[in-house]
Amino acid sequence: MRLAALLVVVAAATAGCGQSDDRAAVRMTTERFITAHAADRGETACAALTQDTRAELEKQESSACAEAVGSVELEGGAITRVEVAMTNAKVDLASGESVFLSEQAAGWRIAAVGCRPQGDPRAEPFDCELEA
Amino acid sequence: MRQFVKHNGLGLFFGAIFLASLVGQALVGHADFNHIQAQHHDDPISLGRYVFSSDFGVDVMENWQSEYLQFTLYILMTVWLLQQGSPESKELGKEGLESDKEQKVGEHAGAKSPAWARARGWRQTLYSNSLLVVMTAIWLASWVASSITGRVAYNADQFDHQQAAVTWAQYVATSDFWNRTLQNWQSEFLAVGSMAVLAIYLRQRGSPESKPVGAPHSATGIES
Repeated sequence: MRLAALLVVVAAATAGCGQSDDRAAVRMTTERFITAHAADRGETACAALTQDTRAELEKQESSACAEAVGSVELEGGAITRVEVAMTNAKVDLASGESVFLSEQAAGWRIAAVGCRPQGDPRAEPFDCELEA
Repeated sequence: MRQFVKHNGLGLFFGAIFLASLVGQALVGHADFNHIQAQHHDDPISLGRYVFSSDFGVDVMENWQSEYLQFTLYILMTVWLLQQGSPESKELGKEGLESDKEQKVGEHAGAKSPAWARARGWRQTLYSNSLLVVMTAIWLASWVASSITGRVAYNADQFDHQQAAVTWAQYVATSDFWNRTLQNWQSEFLAVGSMAVLAIYLRQRGSPESKPVGAPHSATGIES
């Protein structure tokens, strides 16, 4: 019986392992990007993106990320919810937009921004202003 | 020491190969996880991070729950169901909980019987079903654990594809949860059912799971 209780406790602990640290890091990366984007600080905003997302933006706009990132239309807003699942995360903003992040060796980086649900959000991918 | 090993070889052997298999699963599971990370252009994670992740947790728990369910059902069903000719079955006509005399409980308990077998009331009832109770508890706990860890692994995949997370209640209604569950159940039920039937006609000399080699196919409930 103790083994049975232990299994559930370990599973719950594993599921939430390191989550508070990750939540804080995810929040910080998102806030850094939103603030830099609003202030036209392209270098700082680009540093918060994954390499693939940066490359996709540069390909779309045919210019360097720091110059192109200002053209991404975002409503932004305050963070209302942070969800972390292993090496992936989702942040919801007051504007109704969501941000998706993935954990890289250098820390949490943004994989997609300006995302809004289209149809059932659990069955269909969000429509994003910028994604890898 | 040598005698201890000889008298406890079954438990020690399976304990050792369980640990070896779990370590092996952690190593190859870690390699597989990082292979998928690379396919998604994501960075690899450490082995330590992997073994405490829900990805490893669900892969372990989904198998544990099915193994414990298999033996829980086997313990319960062999009380009531018989299989003619199988050493896994009780003798024909002996289905059911059997008499106190046959089970050596209460006044029929011997000098070396466990104390709760001799006791009356709830203690005897609990001890009489203790194997089933504990096996059921471990099955349910590992099944719940597989749903908790499975949900996190599922949500990581959802986020990776820019989709919303599911709650625990939503996850246990997904095809992912039931695919993980049923793919394990069917293999366990096949293995245990086929062993009960194959043991009617086939033998393993020296094994208590088999009838004696010369026992007739029709002999039921006889073990070496």
